[in-house]
Amino acid sequence: MSTEAPQQMQSNTNLPGAGRSRGAARRILTFMRREPSFALGLALTGLILSIALFPGLYSRVSPTDIDTAASLQAPSAAHWFGTDELGRDIYSRAIHGTRVTLSIVAGSMVISAFFGGMLGVIAGFAGRLTDMVSGRAIDVVLSFPPIILGVVISGVLGPSITNLVLALSIVYIPVFFRIARSGAITETSRTYVEAARSVGLTGRAILFRHILRNVMPLIMLQYMILFPLVLQIQAALGFLGLGVQPPTPDWGAILEEGKDYILFAPWISLFPGLFIMVSALSVTLIGRGLQKRMNR
Amino acid sequence: MGSYLVKRLAASLLTAILSSIAVFLIVRAVPGDVVAQMLGQSGGSGSQAEEALRRFFGLNEPLYVQYLDWLGGVLRGDLGQSWVRGQPVAEIVFKAFTVTLQLGLMTLAFATIIGVPLGLIAGLFEGRRVDAAIQAFNILGLSAPVFWLGLILLIAVSSLFAWSPPLIYRTPFQNLSDNLSTLLLPMLSLGLLQAAAYSQFTRQCVVGAFSEDYVRTALAKGLPMRVVFAKHILRNIMIALVTFMGLILIQILGGVVVIESLFALPGLGRLLITAIETRDYPVVQGALLMVVFSALIVNLLVDMLYHVIDPRVRVDA
Repeated sequence: MSTEAPQQMQSNTNLPGAGRSRGAARRILTFMRREPSFALGLALTGLILSIALFPGLYSRVSPTDIDTAASLQAPSAAHWFGTDELGRDIYSRAIHGTRVTLSIVAGSMVISAFFGGMLGVIAGFAGRLTDMVSGRAIDVVLSFPPIILGVVISGVLGPSITNLVLALSIVYIPVFFRIARSGAITETSRTYVEAARSVGLTGRAILFRHILRNVMPLIMLQYMILFPLVLQIQAALGFLGLGVQPPTPDWGAILEEGKDYILFAPWISLFPGLFIMVSALSVTLIGRGLQKRMNR
Repeated sequence: MGSYLVKRLAASLLTAILSSIAVFLIVRAVPGDVVAQMLGQSGGSGSQAEEALRRFFGLNEPLYVQYLDWLGGVLRGDLGQSWVRGQPVAEIVFKAFTVTLQLGLMTLAFATIIGVPLGLIAGLFEGRRVDAAIQAFNILGLSAPVFWLGLILLIAVSSLFAWSPPLIYRTPFQNLSDNLSTLLLPMLSLGLLQAAAYSQFTRQCVVGAFSEDYVRTALAKGLPMRVVFAKHILRNIMIALVTFMGLILIQILGGVVVIESLFALPGLGRLLITAIETRDYPVVQGALLMVVFSALIVNLLVDMLYHVIDPRVRVDA
């Protein structure tokens, strides 16, 4: 997905279909050479994805095995990242937490992008009353600072993965809404929409076949830009005890468990935080690369 | 200006009312309300006791009556009584708000003092090594979780300087040096992130300004770089920089929830979390309302400031 987006943009601006696949591959390679940070982002993301998909390749130890004899041990050859108060291996917990944490973030954002994007495109295309009513509703969501909204929703409804996903997906609906709406407004004023109308296409066909397709790259780029922010909120909620509940390994939740031991066993919190940071970093690097490409 | 102000105020008022309804409804979305919880704990679930308690808390009325009652109170400055502490909510919320406000303003000052100069330097030396270094700082700062940064700082100061912040919060009027040393680490951990955000934004503004015609013209007619920078670029990006401050302040308002819990500061964020945990509805409502209204007011001020500085801005939808 990440490598396709710039290619799609290209085909919108350049001559369509001219030597597409080979030319595109070469263009991406050239771009990566010119933007090493983009290449670094891709490489890191690849590594993180492989950890999320095949945690067994990276750690054979169970992330939930309790061994009280080995509690609060510092990093060593046996336990690379040390152990927590129950003697669980932090390395294994961080590795196995990758899938849990990232799938919650990615999934919530798909929901967020779908509803925010859909509503935005429809509001921008339809205008008038639809636009006004949805605009006000979005303003209300927007009047809560992001983390606060997440804390309140998951706190009030009670900590569970479903409520966490609900909370995270509501938080950034407004941002997707705004991007999609402004994109749809721009597209609606283009000549091709007028042309499509004059050949007798219905509003719905224009919306789904033409406008949505052109707004899609914007939504995808926004997804990449917001990903680190949602990851941070997910981790913050886990840290506050409002996210994934023990013993399931989740980066934020591990940090929460290590909070009380921070001065004697800092490794418990240190490593999951590092995982969060590297994941956020790699997606940010890709997002910036794509943004540069699109703005050109 | 006049008609703009009226329109903008009307829009804010509408959002404020809708937000207050949202605040009210969110709190009531709790599965198993406070009454059920109380009765569950004491063991008795007789319908008579339940009825009496509901009447006592005003929960027997229809929702809209409860809302209007509450709204009426809010307008009179009465946010009700805390169910857990028995004190007036307005008092509790206000006290917590002063802590959050102090931390917020200190963080904002820190982020501005660090972020803006870094952004200006990066933008001025676009593509050079300084720029790359500052951009690396920005990206790292934006990627690090705030509370994690707080933990790292806590470890760092305690192991490097054998120092840890005072455990009990004091107001600046009780003991200024204790107050400031309690707020130092929270300010740093929140502020580094916001400084990174501010620096990145400032850099974008400067880089953008360099491609504008007025800068090209000024340089082409032979004005020295520092004059162009001070007189043309700085003046033009000032509006954007000032408005970005508002955005950062709102981000900080959200960020304090986590950081106050980590450093045990008796601010609005921690109040909100403890009130949610104890199902203290009136306090949750009061604290949330305070947060939302502060954010609305910051937004309103920023918009008006924007309008004063740049009259071309018109009301959008």
